[in-house]
Amino acid sequence: MVALRQAWLLAVNDLRQEARDLELVLTSTFFSLVVLIMLGMSFSALGISAQPLAVPGMLWLSVAFVGALTLGRIFTREREFDTLRALLVAPVERVSIYLAKAFVTIVILLGCCLITVLGLTLLFPAAQPFAERPLETFALVLMGCTAYAGVGTLFAAGLASSSGKNVLLSVILYPLTMPSLLFALVATRSLLEGHESFLTYLGQLTATNVIAFVVGAWLFEPVLVGVPQQRRGAARAARRRR
Amino acid sequence: MSEAALLELRGIGKHFGRLAVLRGLDLDLHSGEIVGLIGANGAGKSTLLSIIAGLMPPSRGQRTFAGSEGVGRDERARFAVVSHTAQTYPRLTALENLELFAKLRAQAGGHNEALRPTLDRLGLGYAADRQAGTFSRGMLQRLALARALLGRPEMLLLDEPFTALDRPGRTLLATVLAQERDRGAAILLISHDLEALVSVADRVVLLEGGVIAGDVARAPGGDTFAERVRSLAGRMPAVGAEAHA
Repeated sequence: MVALRQAWLLAVNDLRQEARDLELVLTSTFFSLVVLIMLGMSFSALGISAQPLAVPGMLWLSVAFVGALTLGRIFTREREFDTLRALLVAPVERVSIYLAKAFVTIVILLGCCLITVLGLTLLFPAAQPFAERPLETFALVLMGCTAYAGVGTLFAAGLASSSGKNVLLSVILYPLTMPSLLFALVATRSLLEGHESFLTYLGQLTATNVIAFVVGAWLFEPVLVGVPQQRRGAARAARRRR
Repeated sequence: MSEAALLELRGIGKHFGRLAVLRGLDLDLHSGEIVGLIGANGAGKSTLLSIIAGLMPPSRGQRTFAGSEGVGRDERARFAVVSHTAQTYPRLTALENLELFAKLRAQAGGHNEALRPTLDRLGLGYAADRQAGTFSRGMLQRLALARALLGRPEMLLLDEPFTALDRPGRTLLATVLAQERDRGAAILLISHDLEALVSVADRVVLLEGGVIAGDVARAPGGDTFAERVRSLAGRMPAVGAEAHA
Protein backbone atom coordinates (compact mmCIF):
# COMPACT_ATOMS: atom_id res chain seq x y z
CA MET A 1 0.00 0.00 0.00
CA VAL A 2 2.92 2.35 0.72
CA ALA A 3 4.12 1.74 -2.83
CA LEU A 4 0.70 2.63 -4.27
CA ARG A 5 0.38 5.78 -2.15
CA GLN A 6 3.88 6.90 -3.14
CA ALA A 7 3.07 6.11 -6.78
CA TRP A 8 0.01 8.33 -6.54
CA LEU A 9 2.07 11.20 -5.06
CA LEU A 10 4.63 10.89 -7.84
CA ALA A 11 1.96 10.71 -10.55
CA VAL A 12 0.21 13.81 -9.16
CA ASN A 13 3.59 15.57 -9.12
CA ASP A 14 4.18 14.72 -12.79
CA LEU A 15 0.68 15.79 -13.76
CA ARG A 16 1.05 19.05 -11.80
CA GLN A 17 4.24 19.84 -13.74
CA GLU A 18 2.52 18.90 -16.98
CA ALA A 19 -0.39 21.21 -16.12
CA ARG A 20 2.09 24.10 -15.83
CA ASP A 21 3.69 23.77 -19.26
CA LEU A 22 1.26 21.46 -21.17
CA GLU A 23 4.24 20.18 -23.13
CA LEU A 24 3.05 16.59 -23.53
CA VAL A 25 -0.63 17.50 -23.83
CA LEU A 26 -0.02 19.94 -26.68
CA THR A 27 2.49 17.71 -28.48
CA SER A 28 0.31 14.61 -28.32
CA THR A 29 -2.89 16.50 -29.19
CA PHE A 30 -1.46 18.11 -32.30
CA PHE A 31 0.30 14.92 -33.29
CA SER A 32 -2.97 12.96 -32.99
CA LEU A 33 -4.82 15.57 -35.04
CA VAL A 34 -2.19 15.57 -37.79
CA VAL A 35 -2.18 11.76 -37.98
CA LEU A 36 -5.97 11.75 -38.05
CA ILE A 37 -6.22 14.31 -40.83
CA MET A 38 -3.55 12.62 -42.93
CA LEU A 39 -5.01 9.14 -42.52
CA GLY A 40 -8.54 10.48 -43.03
CA MET A 41 -7.54 12.06 -46.34
CA SER A 42 -5.57 9.02 -47.43
CA PHE A 43 -8.31 6.49 -46.69
CA SER A 44 -11.43 8.59 -47.39
CA ALA A 45 -12.14 6.67 -50.58
CA LEU A 46 -11.96 3.31 -48.86
CA GLY A 47 -15.09 1.15 -49.18
CA ILE A 48 -17.08 0.57 -46.01
CA SER A 49 -16.29 -3.16 -46.06
CA ALA A 50 -12.55 -2.45 -46.03
CA GLN A 51 -12.72 0.20 -43.30
CA PRO A 52 -12.76 -2.22 -40.32
CA LEU A 53 -9.36 -3.41 -41.58
CA ALA A 54 -7.88 0.10 -41.71
CA VAL A 55 -9.46 1.89 -38.71
CA PRO A 56 -7.79 -0.25 -35.98
CA GLY A 57 -4.41 0.36 -37.61
CA MET A 58 -4.99 4.13 -37.57
CA LEU A 59 -5.96 4.09 -33.89
CA TRP A 60 -3.04 2.01 -32.65
CA LEU A 61 -0.53 3.67 -34.93
CA SER A 62 -1.38 6.95 -33.19
CA VAL A 63 -0.99 5.28 -29.80
CA ALA A 64 2.38 3.81 -30.78
CA PHE A 65 3.78 7.17 -31.92
CA VAL A 66 2.29 9.30 -29.13
CA GLY A 67 3.41 6.66 -26.62
CA ALA A 68 7.02 6.82 -27.80
CA LEU A 69 6.91 10.63 -27.64
CA THR A 70 5.39 10.60 -24.16
CA LEU A 71 7.72 8.01 -22.68
CA GLY A 72 10.75 9.72 -24.14
CA ARG A 73 9.72 13.10 -22.80
CA ILE A 74 8.69 11.88 -19.32
CA PHE A 75 12.11 10.40 -18.68
CA THR A 76 14.06 13.12 -20.51
CA ARG A 77 12.50 15.56 -18.06
CA GLU A 78 13.87 13.49 -15.17
CA ARG A 79 17.26 13.13 -16.85
CA GLU A 80 17.64 16.83 -17.69
CA PHE A 81 17.44 17.81 -14.03
CA ASP A 82 18.77 14.53 -12.60
CA THR A 83 15.64 14.21 -10.46
CA LEU A 84 15.42 10.46 -11.02
CA ARG A 85 18.54 10.05 -8.85
CA ALA A 86 16.92 12.16 -6.14
CA LEU A 87 13.97 9.76 -6.14
CA LEU A 88 16.24 6.71 -6.16
CA VAL A 89 18.04 7.79 -2.97
CA ALA A 90 14.81 8.89 -1.25
CA PRO A 91 12.78 6.46 0.89
CA VAL A 92 10.58 5.67 -2.10
CA GLU A 93 9.69 2.19 -3.28
CA ARG A 94 11.30 1.91 -6.70
CA VAL A 95 8.21 0.20 -8.06
CA SER A 96 6.27 3.40 -7.19
CA ILE A 97 8.33 5.31 -9.74
CA TYR A 98 7.47 2.70 -12.36
CA LEU A 99 3.76 2.77 -11.53
CA ALA A 100 3.65 6.59 -11.49
CA LYS A 101 5.35 6.96 -14.87
CA ALA A 102 3.16 4.25 -16.38
CA PHE A 103 0.05 5.97 -14.99
CA VAL A 104 0.98 9.36 -16.47
CA THR A 105 1.71 7.69 -19.82
CA ILE A 106 -1.71 6.01 -19.73
CA VAL A 107 -3.43 9.35 -19.00
CA ILE A 108 -1.70 11.01 -21.97
CA LEU A 109 -2.45 8.04 -24.24
CA LEU A 110 -6.11 8.05 -23.22
CA GLY A 111 -6.28 11.71 -24.20
CA CYS A 112 -4.77 10.81 -27.57
CA CYS A 113 -7.28 7.96 -27.96
CA LEU A 114 -10.19 10.28 -27.15
CA ILE A 115 -9.23 12.56 -30.04
CA THR A 116 -8.46 9.71 -32.42
CA VAL A 117 -11.57 7.66 -31.65
CA LEU A 118 -13.84 10.72 -31.97
CA GLY A 119 -12.15 11.67 -35.24
CA LEU A 120 -12.34 8.15 -36.67
CA THR A 121 -16.03 7.93 -35.71
CA LEU A 122 -16.72 11.15 -37.59
CA LEU A 123 -14.62 10.26 -40.63
CA PHE A 124 -15.41 6.56 -41.15
CA PRO A 125 -18.90 4.99 -41.06
CA ALA A 126 -17.36 1.63 -40.09
CA ALA A 127 -16.07 3.21 -36.87
CA GLN A 128 -19.62 3.87 -35.61
CA PRO A 129 -19.42 0.94 -33.10
CA PHE A 130 -17.02 3.14 -31.12
CA ALA A 131 -19.94 5.48 -30.43
CA GLU A 132 -22.55 2.74 -30.15
CA ARG A 133 -20.59 0.69 -27.61
CA PRO A 134 -18.77 3.30 -25.51
CA LEU A 135 -18.08 1.04 -22.53
CA GLU A 136 -16.45 -1.65 -24.65
CA THR A 137 -14.52 1.04 -26.54
CA PHE A 138 -13.28 2.56 -23.29
CA ALA A 139 -12.26 -0.87 -21.93
CA LEU A 140 -10.43 -1.59 -25.19
CA VAL A 141 -8.42 1.64 -25.32
CA LEU A 142 -7.72 1.47 -21.58
CA MET A 143 -6.36 -2.07 -21.85
CA GLY A 144 -4.39 -1.32 -25.02
CA CYS A 145 -2.81 1.85 -23.59
CA THR A 146 -2.06 0.11 -20.29
CA ALA A 147 -0.27 -2.75 -22.03
CA TYR A 148 1.78 -0.29 -24.07
CA ALA A 149 2.68 1.78 -21.01
CA GLY A 150 3.52 -1.30 -18.93
CA VAL A 151 6.18 -2.45 -21.37
CA GLY A 152 7.34 0.98 -22.52
CA THR A 153 7.91 2.51 -19.09
CA LEU A 154 10.42 -0.16 -18.14
CA PHE A 155 12.62 0.39 -21.18
CA ALA A 156 12.29 4.17 -21.18
CA ALA A 157 13.49 4.18 -17.55
CA GLY A 158 16.41 1.93 -18.40
CA LEU A 159 17.54 4.27 -21.16
CA ALA A 160 17.06 7.36 -18.98
CA SER A 161 19.23 5.96 -16.21
CA SER A 162 21.99 4.76 -18.51
CA SER A 163 22.39 8.03 -20.44
CA GLY A 164 20.97 6.27 -23.48
CA LYS A 165 19.70 8.29 -26.37
CA ASN A 166 16.02 8.74 -27.09
CA VAL A 167 16.50 7.29 -30.56
CA LEU A 168 17.24 3.97 -28.86
CA LEU A 169 13.86 4.16 -27.17
CA SER A 170 12.04 3.89 -30.48
CA VAL A 171 14.38 1.14 -31.69
CA ILE A 172 13.68 -0.92 -28.57
CA LEU A 173 10.13 0.18 -27.87
CA TYR A 174 8.36 -0.65 -31.12
CA PRO A 175 9.43 -4.32 -31.34
CA LEU A 176 8.69 -4.91 -27.67
CA THR A 177 5.26 -3.30 -27.69
CA MET A 178 4.30 -5.01 -30.94
CA PRO A 179 2.57 -8.01 -29.26
CA SER A 180 0.39 -5.72 -27.11
CA LEU A 181 -0.46 -3.53 -30.09
CA LEU A 182 -1.33 -6.59 -32.19
CA PHE A 183 -3.68 -7.87 -29.49
CA ALA A 184 -5.27 -4.42 -29.32
CA LEU A 185 -5.52 -4.29 -33.12
CA VAL A 186 -7.31 -7.62 -33.38
CA ALA A 187 -9.63 -6.76 -30.49
CA THR A 188 -10.53 -3.43 -32.14
CA ARG A 189 -11.32 -5.13 -35.43
CA SER A 190 -13.59 -7.63 -33.69
CA LEU A 191 -15.34 -4.73 -31.90
CA LEU A 192 -15.93 -2.93 -35.19
CA GLU A 193 -17.16 -6.09 -36.92
CA GLY A 194 -19.38 -7.01 -33.97
CA HIS A 195 -17.76 -10.38 -33.35
CA GLU A 196 -18.57 -12.25 -30.15
CA SER A 197 -14.86 -12.97 -29.84
CA PHE A 198 -14.28 -9.34 -28.76
CA LEU A 199 -14.49 -10.23 -25.08
CA THR A 200 -12.04 -13.10 -25.57
CA TYR A 201 -9.58 -10.73 -27.22
CA LEU A 202 -10.15 -8.18 -24.47
CA GLY A 203 -9.42 -10.89 -21.91
CA GLN A 204 -6.19 -11.74 -23.70
CA LEU A 205 -5.23 -8.08 -23.74
CA THR A 206 -5.92 -7.89 -20.00
CA ALA A 207 -3.72 -10.95 -19.44
CA THR A 208 -0.99 -9.23 -21.47
CA ASN A 209 -1.36 -6.24 -19.14
CA VAL A 210 -0.95 -8.37 -16.04
CA ILE A 211 2.19 -9.99 -17.45
CA ALA A 212 3.62 -6.63 -18.61
CA PHE A 213 3.11 -5.02 -15.21
CA VAL A 214 4.35 -7.98 -13.16
CA VAL A 215 7.51 -8.25 -15.27
CA GLY A 216 7.93 -4.45 -15.39
CA ALA A 217 7.57 -4.05 -11.61
CA TRP A 218 9.95 -6.98 -11.03
CA LEU A 219 12.65 -5.73 -13.41
CA PHE A 220 12.36 -1.99 -12.77
CA GLU A 221 14.81 -1.79 -9.86
CA PRO A 222 17.51 -3.98 -11.47
CA VAL A 223 17.17 -1.99 -14.69
CA LEU A 224 17.66 1.30 -12.83
CA VAL A 225 20.33 0.49 -10.24
CA GLY A 226 21.71 -2.94 -11.20
CA VAL A 227 21.66 -6.23 -9.35
CA PRO A 228 23.46 -6.35 -5.98
CA GLN A 229 26.43 -8.67 -5.97
CA GLN A 230 24.93 -10.84 -3.17
CA ARG A 231 21.89 -11.56 -5.33
CA ARG A 232 24.10 -12.32 -8.35
CA GLY A 233 26.17 -14.65 -6.17
CA ALA A 234 23.05 -16.38 -4.87
CA ALA A 235 21.76 -16.85 -8.42
CA ARG A 236 25.12 -18.32 -9.52
CA ALA A 237 25.12 -20.67 -6.51
CA ALA A 238 21.58 -21.81 -7.32
CA ARG A 239 22.62 -22.54 -10.93
CA ARG A 240 25.65 -24.56 -9.70
CA ARG A 241 23.42 -26.59 -7.34
CA ARG A 242 21.11 -27.42 -10.24
CA MET B 1 36.72 6.49 17.50
CA SER B 2 35.87 3.59 19.69
CA GLU B 3 32.14 3.10 19.05
CA ALA B 4 30.93 1.04 16.10
CA ALA B 5 30.97 2.86 12.78
CA LEU B 6 27.64 3.91 11.30
CA LEU B 7 28.93 3.13 7.82
CA GLU B 8 31.46 0.38 7.20
CA LEU B 9 32.98 -0.30 3.80
CA ARG B 10 35.11 -3.43 3.53
CA GLY B 11 36.98 -4.47 0.42
CA ILE B 12 34.75 -2.43 -1.91
CA GLY B 13 35.67 -2.98 -5.53
CA LYS B 14 34.03 -1.61 -8.63
CA HIS B 15 34.92 -2.20 -12.23
CA PHE B 16 33.29 -1.05 -15.44
CA GLY B 17 34.18 -3.69 -17.97
CA ARG B 18 37.97 -3.99 -17.71
CA LEU B 19 38.42 -0.64 -15.99
CA ALA B 20 38.81 -1.09 -12.22
CA VAL B 21 37.82 2.12 -10.43
CA LEU B 22 37.78 0.89 -6.83
CA ARG B 23 40.12 -1.90 -5.73
CA GLY B 24 39.26 -3.20 -2.27
CA LEU B 25 38.53 0.03 -0.45
CA ASP B 26 37.99 0.11 3.35
CA LEU B 27 36.42 3.09 5.11
CA ASP B 28 34.55 3.75 8.37
CA LEU B 29 32.26 6.67 9.04
CA HIS B 30 31.12 7.36 12.59
CA SER B 31 28.18 9.29 13.97
CA GLY B 32 29.10 12.86 14.84
CA GLU B 33 32.03 13.23 12.45
CA ILE B 34 32.60 14.95 9.15
CA VAL B 35 34.92 13.09 6.80
CA GLY B 36 36.25 14.87 3.74
CA LEU B 37 37.03 12.74 0.71
CA ILE B 38 39.57 14.08 -1.78
CA GLY B 39 41.04 12.55 -4.90
CA ALA B 40 42.00 13.39 -8.46
CA ASN B 41 39.38 13.59 -11.21
CA GLY B 42 38.36 10.06 -12.13
CA ALA B 43 39.66 8.60 -8.86
CA GLY B 44 36.23 7.11 -8.17
CA LYS B 45 34.86 9.51 -5.55
CA SER B 46 31.41 9.84 -7.12
CA THR B 47 31.33 6.11 -7.87
CA LEU B 48 32.01 5.44 -4.20
CA LEU B 49 29.23 7.84 -3.22
CA SER B 50 26.83 6.07 -5.59
CA ILE B 51 27.72 2.72 -4.04
CA ILE B 52 27.18 4.04 -0.51
CA ALA B 53 23.85 5.58 -1.55
CA GLY B 54 22.67 2.35 -3.17
CA LEU B 55 22.58 3.80 -6.68
CA MET B 56 25.07 1.27 -7.91
CA PRO B 57 26.01 -2.17 -6.58
CA PRO B 58 29.72 -2.79 -5.85
CA SER B 59 31.45 -5.47 -7.91
CA ARG B 60 32.81 -6.91 -4.68
CA GLY B 61 33.08 -6.10 -1.00
CA GLN B 62 30.66 -5.28 1.74
CA ARG B 63 28.82 -2.06 2.55
CA THR B 64 27.13 -1.94 5.95
CA PHE B 65 25.03 1.00 7.11
CA ALA B 66 23.68 0.94 10.67
CA GLY B 67 24.26 -2.81 10.80
CA SER B 68 22.38 -3.51 7.58
CA GLU B 69 23.83 -4.52 4.23
CA GLY B 70 20.63 -3.62 2.38
CA VAL B 71 19.77 -0.28 0.83
CA GLY B 72 16.01 -0.67 1.02
CA ARG B 73 13.40 1.97 1.69
CA ASP B 74 13.93 1.88 5.46
CA GLU B 75 17.69 2.39 5.12
CA ARG B 76 17.21 5.19 2.61
CA ALA B 77 14.94 6.97 5.11
CA ARG B 78 17.97 7.26 7.40
CA PHE B 79 20.44 8.93 5.06
CA ALA B 80 20.35 11.73 2.51
CA VAL B 81 22.43 12.66 -0.52
CA VAL B 82 23.25 16.07 -1.95
CA SER B 83 24.69 15.66 -5.41
CA HIS B 84 26.71 18.16 -7.44
CA THR B 85 23.58 18.63 -9.54
CA ALA B 86 20.65 20.11 -7.63
CA GLN B 87 18.11 17.44 -8.64
CA THR B 88 15.09 19.67 -8.16
CA TYR B 89 11.94 19.99 -10.23
CA PRO B 90 12.20 23.35 -12.05
CA ARG B 91 8.46 23.85 -12.51
CA LEU B 92 7.70 23.34 -8.84
CA THR B 93 8.25 26.03 -6.23
CA ALA B 94 10.91 25.54 -3.57
CA LEU B 95 8.18 24.71 -1.07
CA GLU B 96 6.50 22.22 -3.44
CA ASN B 97 9.85 20.53 -4.06
CA LEU B 98 10.28 19.99 -0.33
CA GLU B 99 6.62 19.08 0.13
CA LEU B 100 6.84 16.26 -2.41
CA PHE B 101 9.78 14.62 -0.68
CA ALA B 102 8.28 15.24 2.76
CA LYS B 103 5.06 13.47 1.72
CA LEU B 104 6.98 10.58 0.18
CA ARG B 105 9.01 10.26 3.38
CA ALA B 106 5.87 10.46 5.52
CA GLN B 107 4.30 7.61 3.53
CA ALA B 108 7.37 5.54 4.35
CA GLY B 109 6.87 6.33 8.04
CA GLY B 110 9.73 8.81 8.23
CA HIS B 111 10.01 11.98 10.30
CA ASN B 112 9.93 15.41 8.65
CA GLU B 113 11.10 18.79 9.80
CA ALA B 114 8.75 21.73 9.23
CA LEU B 115 9.15 22.92 5.64
CA ARG B 116 9.30 26.72 5.87
CA PRO B 117 11.70 26.78 8.85
CA THR B 118 13.97 24.40 6.93
CA LEU B 119 13.98 26.80 3.98
CA ASP B 120 14.61 29.69 6.39
CA ARG B 121 17.54 27.80 7.87
CA LEU B 122 19.14 27.63 4.42
CA GLY B 123 18.35 31.27 3.70
CA LEU B 124 15.62 30.48 1.16
CA GLY B 125 12.55 31.52 3.12
CA TYR B 126 12.04 34.58 0.90
CA ALA B 127 11.98 32.38 -2.23
CA ALA B 128 9.74 29.60 -0.89
CA ASP B 129 6.97 30.26 -3.39
CA ARG B 130 9.19 30.83 -6.42
CA GLN B 131 9.63 28.10 -9.02
CA ALA B 132 12.99 26.36 -8.66
CA GLY B 133 13.63 26.95 -12.38
CA THR B 134 14.17 30.64 -11.60
CA PHE B 135 16.83 29.93 -8.95
CA SER B 136 20.56 30.53 -9.32
CA ARG B 137 22.88 27.52 -8.98
CA GLY B 138 23.77 28.50 -5.45
CA MET B 139 20.11 28.72 -4.46
CA LEU B 140 19.43 25.33 -6.05
CA GLN B 141 22.34 23.88 -4.10
CA ARG B 142 20.86 25.23 -0.88
CA LEU B 143 17.42 23.90 -1.84
CA ALA B 144 18.95 20.44 -2.40
CA LEU B 145 20.53 20.67 1.05
CA ALA B 146 17.19 21.73 2.58
CA ARG B 147 15.59 18.64 1.04
CA ALA B 148 18.36 16.47 2.46
CA LEU B 149 17.93 17.91 5.95
CA LEU B 150 14.14 17.41 5.98
CA GLY B 151 14.31 13.95 7.49
CA ARG B 152 17.04 14.64 10.10
CA PRO B 153 19.29 12.05 8.41
CA GLU B 154 21.74 9.94 10.41
CA MET B 155 24.16 10.12 7.50
CA LEU B 156 24.64 12.89 4.95
CA LEU B 157 26.52 12.30 1.71
CA LEU B 158 27.56 15.45 -0.12
CA ASP B 159 29.24 15.65 -3.53
CA GLU B 160 30.93 19.03 -4.16
CA PRO B 161 28.38 21.03 -2.14
CA PHE B 162 30.55 24.18 -2.05
CA THR B 163 30.94 24.46 -5.83
CA ALA B 164 28.14 26.88 -6.70
CA LEU B 165 28.05 28.80 -3.44
CA ASP B 166 29.23 32.36 -2.86
CA ARG B 167 31.13 33.26 0.32
CA PRO B 168 28.04 33.79 2.53
CA GLY B 169 26.62 30.55 1.13
CA ARG B 170 29.81 28.67 2.01
CA THR B 171 29.78 30.06 5.52
CA LEU B 172 26.13 29.07 5.89
CA LEU B 173 26.84 25.55 4.60
CA ALA B 174 29.79 25.15 6.97
CA THR B 175 27.60 26.27 9.88
CA VAL B 176 24.78 23.89 8.93
CA LEU B 177 27.18 20.97 8.54
CA ALA B 178 28.71 21.68 11.94
CA GLN B 179 25.21 21.79 13.46
CA GLU B 180 24.33 18.48 11.85
CA ARG B 181 27.59 16.93 13.07
CA ASP B 182 26.88 18.20 16.61
CA ARG B 183 23.39 16.68 16.38
CA GLY B 184 25.09 13.32 15.77
CA ALA B 185 24.92 12.95 12.00
CA ALA B 186 27.77 11.26 10.14
CA ILE B 187 28.80 13.34 7.13
CA LEU B 188 30.85 12.30 4.11
CA LEU B 189 31.88 15.29 2.05
CA ILE B 190 33.50 15.11 -1.37
CA SER B 191 35.21 18.34 -2.34
CA HIS B 192 38.15 19.71 -4.27
CA ASP B 193 38.02 22.82 -2.10
CA LEU B 194 40.72 22.16 0.50
CA GLU B 195 40.09 25.44 2.33
CA ALA B 196 36.42 24.56 2.84
CA LEU B 197 37.28 20.98 3.82
CA VAL B 198 39.82 22.06 6.39
CA SER B 199 37.28 24.43 7.93
CA VAL B 200 34.59 21.78 8.49
CA ALA B 201 36.07 18.27 8.36
CA ASP B 202 37.25 16.23 11.34
CA ARG B 203 39.09 13.84 9.07
CA VAL B 204 40.20 13.96 5.45
CA VAL B 205 40.90 10.83 3.42
CA LEU B 206 42.58 10.54 0.04
CA LEU B 207 41.18 8.19 -2.58
CA GLU B 208 43.92 7.11 -4.97
CA GLY B 209 44.45 3.98 -7.03
CA GLY B 210 41.02 2.71 -6.00
CA VAL B 211 41.84 2.55 -2.27
CA ILE B 212 42.08 4.95 0.67
CA ALA B 213 45.72 5.99 0.31
CA GLY B 214 45.88 8.48 3.17
CA ASP B 215 43.90 9.48 6.24
CA VAL B 216 44.47 12.67 8.26
CA ALA B 217 42.47 13.37 11.43
CA ARG B 218 42.09 16.63 13.32
CA ALA B 219 43.98 16.23 16.58
CA PRO B 220 42.44 17.71 19.74
CA GLY B 221 43.93 21.16 20.09
CA GLY B 222 46.27 20.47 17.17
CA ASP B 223 46.85 23.21 14.65
CA THR B 224 48.71 21.27 11.94
CA PHE B 225 45.54 19.77 10.46
CA ALA B 226 45.45 22.22 7.55
CA GLU B 227 49.11 21.57 6.72
CA ARG B 228 48.66 17.80 6.90
CA VAL B 229 45.60 17.98 4.64
CA ARG B 230 47.54 20.06 2.09
CA SER B 231 50.37 17.59 2.26
CA LEU B 232 47.92 14.75 1.68
CA ALA B 233 46.40 16.59 -1.27
CA GLY B 234 49.93 17.07 -2.63
CA ARG B 235 50.11 13.32 -3.15
CA MET B 236 47.36 13.44 -5.77
CA PRO B 237 48.66 12.76 -9.27
CA ALA B 238 49.07 15.76 -11.56
CA VAL B 239 46.39 16.40 -14.18
CA GLY B 240 46.65 13.79 -16.90
CA ALA B 241 48.92 11.53 -14.86
CA GLU B 242 46.01 9.42 -13.61
CA ALA B 243 45.26 8.40 -17.19
CA HIS B 244 48.68 6.74 -17.40
CA ALA B 245 48.55 5.16 -13.96
